[in-house]
Amino acid sequence: MKKQSSLSEMKKREEIAAYVFLSPYLLATLVFTIGMLLFALYISLHDWNLFQSPEFAGVKNYIKAFRSEDFRRGFLNIAWYTLIVVFTQTFVAVFMAVILFKPIPGKQFFRTFFYAPSVTSSVVISMIFIWLYLKTGYINLLFGKVAEIFGGEWQNVEWLNKPDGLFQLLARGVGGDIEYGKWYLHGPSVTWMAIMVQAVYTTSPTFMIMFLAALVNIPSSLYESASIDGASSWKQFWKITMPMLRPITLLVVVLGTMGCIQMFDYVKLMTAGGPLGTTLVPVYQIYTETLGINGPIRAGYGAAMAFILAVVIFALTYIQRKFIEEKTEQY
Amino acid sequence: METRILLRNTIRISGKFKIGLRYLVLLGISVVLFAPFVLSFLGTLKTNAEIIAWPPKIFPENWLWNNWADTWNTDLGRGGTFPRWLFNTSFLAIVTATLQVLFCAMGGYAFARLKFKGKNIIFTFMLSSMMLPGIVTLVPKYVFMAKIHLINTYWALILPGSVEAFGIFLLTQYFKSIPGELEEACKIDGASYLDIFRNVIIPLSKPALLTLFILKFQAMWNNFMEALLYLSKVSMWTLNVALMTFQQQYVSQRNLVLVGVMFNAFPVLILFFLFSKYYMEGVSFSGLKG
Repeated sequence: MKKQSSLSEMKKREEIAAYVFLSPYLLATLVFTIGMLLFALYISLHDWNLFQSPEFAGVKNYIKAFRSEDFRRGFLNIAWYTLIVVFTQTFVAVFMAVILFKPIPGKQFFRTFFYAPSVTSSVVISMIFIWLYLKTGYINLLFGKVAEIFGGEWQNVEWLNKPDGLFQLLARGVGGDIEYGKWYLHGPSVTWMAIMVQAVYTTSPTFMIMFLAALVNIPSSLYESASIDGASSWKQFWKITMPMLRPITLLVVVLGTMGCIQMFDYVKLMTAGGPLGTTLVPVYQIYTETLGINGPIRAGYGAAMAFILAVVIFALTYIQRKFIEEKTEQY
Repeated sequence: METRILLRNTIRISGKFKIGLRYLVLLGISVVLFAPFVLSFLGTLKTNAEIIAWPPKIFPENWLWNNWADTWNTDLGRGGTFPRWLFNTSFLAIVTATLQVLFCAMGGYAFARLKFKGKNIIFTFMLSSMMLPGIVTLVPKYVFMAKIHLINTYWALILPGSVEAFGIFLLTQYFKSIPGELEEACKIDGASYLDIFRNVIIPLSKPALLTLFILKFQAMWNNFMEALLYLSKVSMWTLNVALMTFQQQYVSQRNLVLVGVMFNAFPVLILFFLFSKYYMEGVSFSGLKG
């Protein structure tokens, strides 16, 4: 009898201890996750300039966001960005990981070396690339040298101030044009693509490390039996390596998508949405509205845009998950 | 016989050729990855006229090391100096990383070792909260910080950054891999949960704790958006915020801006090369959770 009560007492002590250990996390989550989510919802349903008391506005802010041409434009820009950057960085990361995975002297050294630039901040990267992308910068020098080799001539480009879109340039190449008003037909602008290059440059090595970790976990017996069956290394790559990398590819795509859609730093640091709105992105708009950078503070509008963006991210990552999981079941 | 030797030699040569080719690719990638940094470093030693001249040269005409001193001694007034920004950034990075390690270890211990009501629910909630896009809580967090007057204090960055789902998850997984016999023995000796946490779990988990510390140190060092939102006073800026403004005010002195870039990049790069193993493990872990 006595033993039982002490047992339940011990259980209780364990429970109390657990909650004490968890209390910092629970408190932080309560305030900064759950509390802030509810607060975000509240703000998005009000007009609020942070000085006067908030005024109830219903779903007005959401409707305003959908009607805003700038917001739609930001969405199209970020869609191009996400599509191209996620695809390219995943491809580059797999490529680097596969090259580095094969036993080769100095492998460890290269692995460390490749990852190093990724540990620096987006500000560092932006400041460097602002300079490289100057009209008199090294990127133009590089293009000039390449053009020289092929006997052509290179007109120096001001990379961060070139609003011409990809499709616009293509149309001009065949003698036509797309007028500037029809922004939705332009495709990503030259400036926007320059920023994409920079983004791929910084993110690929991080994802390379993830792919390398996954490659280590592929049982080598799979390759051995394939070799005995006489499968070429090219075939082994497509039949063994790629299928085994599916789960990690899913994660890299999902993480990449989440990161890309919430892109802010490069736009804030390098273009402020310009030239001609071709690098305008939703998070930058949320930031300018909430702080009132281009007009009055509109926290409610900012919060509403953030919610719309979050729903889009959820939907996208959910679809990606479903899509890749379905494909994986065959194996 | 002869053909066989010929064949063997061909294979050997093609093998060597393959390795050579692979090194060539690796070297190419290294050049692409490091050229921006090397060029910027050389740029810090040039005059501003050199830095924007066409065509750009690789090496400086005179190696102007005093650019570094000039930047270090730049004073924007009201406490806006590089030593001050360096202090702000290091302070924030060290404090948040330390708190993360402590609080996440506590949470991880509870999840890995203790039984309590609601454990599964809280753990599942925690995992799903990692998929929550950070952008949703950005506006309310800013308003909240403004309303409780934490703008332009270190607290605005320390409080929300002191414990995170990712860290708890990482440490929970690590603690689970520690064999439990030692703890059982301690329990029989009458040790409390705090004793076990302090004397058994923490000492046995140093690599994981160090990994988390480094990842969070880097995250705070590189934090841009929150620092930009919460720290508007010149004397409170972190290096990232300062560098942005510095670049806007010193457009005519890009060489000094590049020195600022080095001040910002070197500490994390040094930390990385010292502890690269722990970095890689942390990044690989975030890949394995999928």
